[in-house]
Amino acid sequence: MTTTGTATREPRGEPTGSGFESLAEREKAVRELVARTCLTMDAYDFAGYLDLCHPDFRYTITTYSPELRKDITWLDHDFAGMETLLEVLPLHASDHFLRLVMSRHLGVYTVAYSENDTRAAVVSGLQVFNTARDGGVTELLAVAKYHDVVALEGGEAKLLVREVRLDTRMLGETGSLIPF
Amino acid sequence: MARTGTQWRTRPNLPLTHYVDPRVYTDRSIFEEEREKILEKTWAIVCHESEAPNAYDFRRCQHMSGKELLVVRGKDMKIRVFYNQCPHRGNVLAYEPSGNARRITCIFHLWSFDTKGNCVEITREKEGFQDRLSRKDVGLREVRSETDMGGFVWVNVDDDCGPLDAFLGDSTEFLRGELTAAPLEIMCYHKAIVPTNYKLWHDTNRDLYHEFLHRQNRLIAMGQPGYLDRRYHLHVHGHVTADPSVNSYENIEKGSGVERRMGWPGGESALHKLCNLFPTVTYNMRPPALRIDTMVPLGPEETIVEFRGLGVKGDSPEERRERLRDYNSFWGPFGRNLPEDFIAIVGQSIGLNHGRGSPYILHGREEETPHSEVCIRHYFAEWSRMMGRTAADPFGELPAVAAE
Amino acid sequence: MSRNATEWRRRPTLAPTHYVDPRIYTDRALFEEEREKIFKKVWSVVCHESEAPNAGDYRRCRHMSGKELLVVRGVDMKIRAFYNHCSHRGNLLAMEPSGNARRITCMFHQWSYDTRGNCVAITRQKEGYQDRVSRKDMGLREVRTEVGLGGFVWVNVDDGCGPLEEFVGDSLDYLKEELSAKPLEIISYHKAVVNSNYKLWYDTNSELYHDFLHHHNRKIALIQPGYWDRRVHVHDHGHVSVDSMECRYDAYEGNDGRQRRLGWPGGEVACHKLIDLFPTMTFILRAPAFRLDTMVPLAPDKVAIEFRGFAVKGDSAEDRAARVRDHNSIWGPFGRNLPEDEIAIVGQMMAMKGGDDSAYVLHGREEPSIQNEIGMRHYYGEWSKWMERGASDPFGNRAIAAAE
Repeated sequence: MTTTGTATREPRGEPTGSGFESLAEREKAVRELVARTCLTMDAYDFAGYLDLCHPDFRYTITTYSPELRKDITWLDHDFAGMETLLEVLPLHASDHFLRLVMSRHLGVYTVAYSENDTRAAVVSGLQVFNTARDGGVTELLAVAKYHDVVALEGGEAKLLVREVRLDTRMLGETGSLIPF
Repeated sequence: MARTGTQWRTRPNLPLTHYVDPRVYTDRSIFEEEREKILEKTWAIVCHESEAPNAYDFRRCQHMSGKELLVVRGKDMKIRVFYNQCPHRGNVLAYEPSGNARRITCIFHLWSFDTKGNCVEITREKEGFQDRLSRKDVGLREVRSETDMGGFVWVNVDDDCGPLDAFLGDSTEFLRGELTAAPLEIMCYHKAIVPTNYKLWHDTNRDLYHEFLHRQNRLIAMGQPGYLDRRYHLHVHGHVTADPSVNSYENIEKGSGVERRMGWPGGESALHKLCNLFPTVTYNMRPPALRIDTMVPLGPEETIVEFRGLGVKGDSPEERRERLRDYNSFWGPFGRNLPEDFIAIVGQSIGLNHGRGSPYILHGREEETPHSEVCIRHYFAEWSRMMGRTAADPFGELPAVAAE
Repeated sequence: MSRNATEWRRRPTLAPTHYVDPRIYTDRALFEEEREKIFKKVWSVVCHESEAPNAGDYRRCRHMSGKELLVVRGVDMKIRAFYNHCSHRGNLLAMEPSGNARRITCMFHQWSYDTRGNCVAITRQKEGYQDRVSRKDMGLREVRTEVGLGGFVWVNVDDGCGPLEEFVGDSLDYLKEELSAKPLEIISYHKAVVNSNYKLWYDTNSELYHDFLHHHNRKIALIQPGYWDRRVHVHDHGHVSVDSMECRYDAYEGNDGRQRRLGWPGGEVACHKLIDLFPTMTFILRAPAFRLDTMVPLAPDKVAIEFRGFAVKGDSAEDRAARVRDHNSIWGPFGRNLPEDEIAIVGQMMAMKGGDDSAYVLHGREEPSIQNEIGMRHYYGEWSKWMERGASDPFGNRAIAAAE
């Protein structure tokens, strides 16, 4: 896939190759998709999250470790792997089912479309907050960037690739069972 | 005249009862001693019974002594209170602030307890403990609790304490009508962790001299006829009540200049009643809502303050909305009263500078009005009695000074 | 039956070796004493040699005693460890977690040291010190260091300590094949600062009764044939090893339903071996990945835990990817095992610390199975030796009570 980088075309009022009514509709679909991945996960709506994902979905959480002077991968799943992970999570004991509520805050930075109009590369800034159920104090859990590829086919946007690139490497007291 | 260092630290020319040493608010060893001699010995509210309304409801609370508690309503609808701690390896039982469970099961090794605190299951009991340990020996630690004075759950972690009645004495008479006419129901809750000493919050709750701080109070209360005729009443164990004040809401600016018509069952509609209970509880009945403050002192300069707003069980939705609106306009986290009080007590803590170089704190006003500081003197008299120390001279330095 | 205060604080009827006083987890003075008597006296792993693979590589580490260390690979490829501390004005030499430098130069006044810890440059030496200070007196503080089985870098800050071999004894024999067949290489590092006592993490690592906590373990371990046949073995100096078992990846959802065939050189394909080393380390081989836990206790209720994951040096790209994936599925910061253990030890500290009124903590299971708590008892036996205090009676109250 090639992306056009900064050469994003201006939204115009005509149909697109990927089946959207207009470029504005296409842009809206991409941005909403990325936002909905956060809203569904915040709501612990794992099925709703999977509905947003492409069958060829690939999800990774990565970071650079200055201690080891190399990249580390902390989660790596295809669609089936993500599906089973999200299915079994509620069976686990987790701070996020007991003491804490997780909330993802997102800002879409750039959207770049491929020449053939079927892919969008999206970079977003992400902050993940924990709020204590008791009392309600909020603390920052992590900052990261989403590097997403969105598939645009038949007038529909689906999440094809997500790399969560972490800045934060100490994740609260207990790490996180729930992916970002 | 401005004072030199020596003058600044000179004892005021007042009786010992009329000021306190600043270190009673800042000293770590005094704080630890308060925990042992006061906080672990007296009664305090930990929640309201409507926070666990149904059989098997539980509510995780923190007692003022710092101990984690689990308030549980049994199948028999009785409220019992336990340490929120598994007797096996000491883990907390409930992590969530509230829930409903027939059996309380520790997540760690799945030991289970019923709502009476009996251990009903030890995982692989026989295999691991044979006959060396019995379920009947590993029940939860139950603490003394009573539900009283408006349905609040009172706890004393000292098994040998006297009954709640004796502790409260006649301080409750004053609110008896309001607290018994109809059952109460919690309508909001919030807490704050404030970098200050718990007694400074209680001082502020007692002392009405500081109403000059509050624009809202200046408008609705201080200008009212009779405001200065009110008196404090002293009760056993350091408790204090204040004669009710008449609030006149039409003096509030813009948009809320309507007279409140809604009252409180068993009480008069515009009467504001204040009841301060040693060492950490305050009842603030200001129809149409009741506010309860409780505290968990975490350190000499760190305190959790919990605020509960209560309405009347069976309120219509309109009534409830009105009670809530009034409560929040003053006392919610976005209200106009609490933040002002907080700035004052946080400012005191900054000024006290960990007790170093701070002057004695004055509690010396005497007048036949609500601006008398007898309310605070009464608190510290009880404090001194329980601590075996004088608040004005907690480290017994005075005789040495006199001898010099 | 639920218990009152007296019953709650009563010693269990178990042998004194079978429970501990909760204050060993919460008391500040005991913690300071552990630092003096244990952390500064025994061997522990600070990193792996693959973290400094090339000549001139350095790795900044923290020793369990709290001391900052600098692990350096010299031009002779030998690993040495120094205090990360400039001899001049006490500044930290390396601020970055790792790097490569032929000379280690302090940023403050540019004094320099070679990889053997010799001071090789004092900035404007003659001008300032004339002949009063010599470079040869200004070397770094080198600490006793050995690269042990598997390439782990062990440090003891006590110059008078015995050799590593004597400390480890035969406890690692059980992993000898796996740790010597091929060199290890680090694949993951992360740390967590947890509000708990370090021994609670060690307890959890050394007892398998809490497998009931883990959905993952219930699925792949507890129901497997042979689970209950495993035994806990005790070794000199408080170390413990646990018999291997077949790790059934195919029994757990989310692991693609396939049993692992990759294995680990020198070990069986699905082996799962556990060794706990007194006082702060755990080695776990769960083919196809290896995990090491080390701890830096920061306070009685705070510990930094460092987690390292290892693969085999020279892995093919596919093998490496498989090891990384399996390691992270349970042990990375988004893995399914660590967060569960960590909530348990955090919960223990939440319940134990408030109010200093916990029941004795039970380590009393005796059974010819994996859920015997002999591992913890063995640890506290060693702890008692170094501390010269019984873990169930650290303050000698029992002797006093008996005498009365």
